[in-house]
Amino acid sequence: MSIWAILSGIEGNLIAYEAVLADIKRQTPKVTDLFILGDVINANPASGKVIERIQQPRSGELVAQVCKGWWEEQLLMLHGYVQPIEPNPLMEKYGAATAKQLWDSIPKETVEWISNLDFGFMELDCLLTHGSSINVLEELTPQSSPLQLFDRVMRTQANRLFCGRSGQTFRYHIKDGSVSSTVITLDGIQPSQSEEASERYIIGVGNVGRNPNVSTYTLYSPNTDKLQFKTVRYGSGKGFN
Amino acid sequence: MKIAVMSCIHGNYEALETVLRDIEQQKAEKIFCLGDLVGYGPFPSNVVEMIRSLDIPTVQGCWDEDIVEGLNSCECSYPSVLAEQRGKFVHEWTNQHIYDETREYLAELPKTLLDGNLAFVHGSPQSQHEYLLPELNGFIALERVLSTGADILFCGHTHIPYVRSLDQGQLQVRVMTGVETLNAESRSFNTDLKRIVNVGSVGEPRHGRPNATYVIYDTDSDQITMREVEYDYQKTCAAIIERGLPAIFAWRLAKGMEYAERADDASHLCERGV
Repeated sequence: MSIWAILSGIEGNLIAYEAVLADIKRQTPKVTDLFILGDVINANPASGKVIERIQQPRSGELVAQVCKGWWEEQLLMLHGYVQPIEPNPLMEKYGAATAKQLWDSIPKETVEWISNLDFGFMELDCLLTHGSSINVLEELTPQSSPLQLFDRVMRTQANRLFCGRSGQTFRYHIKDGSVSSTVITLDGIQPSQSEEASERYIIGVGNVGRNPNVSTYTLYSPNTDKLQFKTVRYGSGKGFN
Repeated sequence: MKIAVMSCIHGNYEALETVLRDIEQQKAEKIFCLGDLVGYGPFPSNVVEMIRSLDIPTVQGCWDEDIVEGLNSCECSYPSVLAEQRGKFVHEWTNQHIYDETREYLAELPKTLLDGNLAFVHGSPQSQHEYLLPELNGFIALERVLSTGADILFCGHTHIPYVRSLDQGQLQVRVMTGVETLNAESRSFNTDLKRIVNVGSVGEPRHGRPNATYVIYDTDSDQITMREVEYDYQKTCAAIIERGLPAIFAWRLAKGMEYAERADDASHLCERGV
């Protein structure tokens, strides 16, 4: 049976990542696949260590499948790997000093590795990505427009969209819906149609490194459709989950 | 008040002049243009100058964008290899036949215009390259209208006019939030009548006849009228050939139909954001 561990937002926090890896190892049944949905780095010199840790898993550890996140996209924009956006999101949100820190934190060869990361993964009927099916920058939350959420999952023909940009853990279940549609062309009125919405899910997978001493991530079994959000406490606030 | 909305003039000055006369006869007080002033047709700069001189609020079309940004087509743009070859040739031709100030004007055009409960885009609010075909999934079509905050979304790009009413939209959702303690909540969403109005094409129609098409919207009666206007298309066809553009464009214009350039996948959604 497959069990996926789905993480996002390590953000250069190696201690948090180690704590989550340890928690994943403790799971029964065993986790079979490890997905990291972007934001492995941020403007933190320790980001390089996290990437090394991901690139070189220890004996018996799962090899992580990693896709791009918001921070990786900002780094690639700085290095000219992707089209710039105006206004620059990094400068707008954090300023020039952070942009320089991000540039200085990640060695050139690591930038190359990051540039080869996937946008996301399509596994069975699930899309796993950082932002949305449109781009890594888009943040989907339970407060997003229901039709926007429906569109983002529909456009890839997926039934489930796992995303990490918001850092929140949530399960948004579109149960059903309908809309009637009438089209008039130059040739006349076409018969009205009623369309039904089929079930779709948008899942926020949590965040590993942003909040001090507490990480969240997601376990999912595609065989049983069982979804579980996990909390891992580490450092001074360590406890049981 | 009557407003006229037109799109996809594509360097067809003859068609534009005729449509502007028809708009005057219809007593429309305001005109909106949904872009693609250039491309395919023989008089790109003349068309731009006419639109500028009349101060018509205009959004940027995909051809206008590509002339400014350099050809940067996404997979929505060319449904066939032949179409791609011709498209690249015409892009280069147009590039050589417009003035720098025309390019500057096209560069400054907004991608969306809003006026009260009306929104104006070229392709869709997502992208100038996205086709809002009448067969598009109703929920996605509804999302495109709602994302603008408008009740009526005017678009072009497909070159075939239609009016699509989306009514009684509703979705039932269940949301679970939290980690250790999950909070579950049921929500229900309902939408009022929303409409997508595709205004067709002035200069390169593809509805099966060579006539120019555009739309009149009466804000008082809430009535939408699709206009089909005859013009001397043979004049434009002759100019296409005389000015060295592919002869097939003249043939296509004379027939009012697509030729190996059908955007016929209603499920295809543009991945390129605005």
